[in-house]
Amino acid sequence: MILYSIILATLMYGAVYSVLTLSLNFQYARGGMINFGLVAYFAAGAYAYAIFTQEAPSGLDQYLFGFDLPWYVGFLAAGAAALLFALITGWPTLRLRGEYLALTTFAFAEVLHSFLLNERRVGNGSVGLSNVDRFDPTVLGISDRLGYAVAAVALMLLTAWFYNRLLKSPFGRSVDAVHDDELAAQAVGKDDARIRLQVFIISAVPIGFAGALYAMITTLVAPSLFTAEITFFVWIALALGGEKTILGAILGTIALVLFQEVVGSIPFETSRAAEVAASAEEIITGILFIIVLRLRPWEKLSRESGA
Amino acid sequence: MTLFFQYVLSGIVTGAFLILATIGFSFTRRVEGFLNIAHAELLGVSAFTTWALTNLAGVHILLSAVLAIVFTSLVGLLIGRIVYDPIRKLGPSVLLITSVGVAYVIGGVVDAVVGTGIRSLDIPLAESYRFWGLRITNYQLVVVVFAALAATSLAFFLNKTPMGLAIRAISANPELAASRGIDVKSTSRVTWLISSGLAGLSGVMLAVIATLSTDIAFHQILQILAVAILAGLGSLYTVVIAGLIVGVAMDVSVFWIPAGYRPLIAFSLVILVLMLRPEGLAGRKSR
Repeated sequence: MILYSIILATLMYGAVYSVLTLSLNFQYARGGMINFGLVAYFAAGAYAYAIFTQEAPSGLDQYLFGFDLPWYVGFLAAGAAALLFALITGWPTLRLRGEYLALTTFAFAEVLHSFLLNERRVGNGSVGLSNVDRFDPTVLGISDRLGYAVAAVALMLLTAWFYNRLLKSPFGRSVDAVHDDELAAQAVGKDDARIRLQVFIISAVPIGFAGALYAMITTLVAPSLFTAEITFFVWIALALGGEKTILGAILGTIALVLFQEVVGSIPFETSRAAEVAASAEEIITGILFIIVLRLRPWEKLSRESGA
Repeated sequence: MTLFFQYVLSGIVTGAFLILATIGFSFTRRVEGFLNIAHAELLGVSAFTTWALTNLAGVHILLSAVLAIVFTSLVGLLIGRIVYDPIRKLGPSVLLITSVGVAYVIGGVVDAVVGTGIRSLDIPLAESYRFWGLRITNYQLVVVVFAALAATSLAFFLNKTPMGLAIRAISANPELAASRGIDVKSTSRVTWLISSGLAGLSGVMLAVIATLSTDIAFHQILQILAVAILAGLGSLYTVVIAGLIVGVAMDVSVFWIPAGYRPLIAFSLVILVLMLRPEGLAGRKSR
């Protein structure tokens, strides 16, 4: 029974985070952009979903907007919100490169986090919005968690399929061209700044959808759920799975989530022991990350199989 | 109006601390060529070493501060040698991302050893001095003094000693410096010792003026990044001005808007600077 719940949770969260890893893979491995503010688009999606589906404020609620719309409207709004936020943040920053872009996206994510934490009129501040309205899978005759695991996997597959198609299209080839040799791409008439912005915006939409799904799963959106740790988690997953492959991004994420779920399911006698285990998990994740980045096993593998 | 100037004064103290915390970070960026996200975790290492030595082992605060700084610089040197040196050829992006992993490891170790909870150093309560209706505590003065000392001695070291000259040569052009007979290995070791030692010193200051919790390091990296970007990545002298601007802006903002927005002020400043003047106050193009 524990095994079943671990597998289900791994699939559910693994699939949701995989959408983020896939988008990051598209931005970093193909677009060459270091986005250290990934969590902001995730949070934008989750908050948009909660605000659109939430009932109008009453009693102790401090938020001003609650549109009480059905879940699918909220889901679409989540994608739109992430897209809008990507447009606002991407347009001024994408002429920056490398570490400057990494720092600006990081700064934008922190500004959004700080805003959501302090501004009570949007999402109740640090309390967040709880009891988020959602689709009830039990009407289809399946259990709640199973339903959301299936939904998450479906979203992940759809995202993977979408990126796969996109990269094989003429647009994908221009993205690769800009990434490989910017000057040459410009010389044949590709507007590199425009293509980079398009990559940035397009890849934010699935992240927004993932945010909506995450809000449905947890039924809570609060600033403490959307910290920079999510961004770093996704980066580690991407490094683990290997850049440039869709399958690798998914496997890396699921392996990392599985590891966390297994550690999380070990019963501990004392809170101190649980604390040590949580730190050990952090240390092991960090060491894995350093080793993978140093040894680059995936590149060696692909070079050997290619040769 | 006195209240306003009180905020300015506390902003200067915050700024002095930020200078201390950022100067090591910018030094690493300048010489080693990458952003070391794990730098802030070293502040945590130093702060908790000071705390453990003073509160648990009963060592005098001055001795434990010195021990903590030495310990932190050795930890920094060790990490530099083991983790960063072998992957330097892979470029600054990989080093930057790797340093996130290093931050995870250090943060995890500190969490495991220290545990959660809020702690403060066992030292006498701060005495405050009054002048013109303004108040400053002796510990705040210590921070300002050490910031000034650290900045001037680093400038002196870089400009007046042979080792400083070697470090500047390496940061300008590593290949050329190596071909002219500068020992790259030993200068790199000295760089790590200095930057981690500065992290250690600011960690001690943090332990003296703030209450400690294990997530303190992460909050520092946000402000360190803000100051470093405002100064222009890798430039050292403008860190002093940038640190004061960020410190005063954050603390004075409390005069008009809730204190929770302090980090937002710092980062809005960063975004503004990056859009208008991506090379920072120093004005050097360093892409």
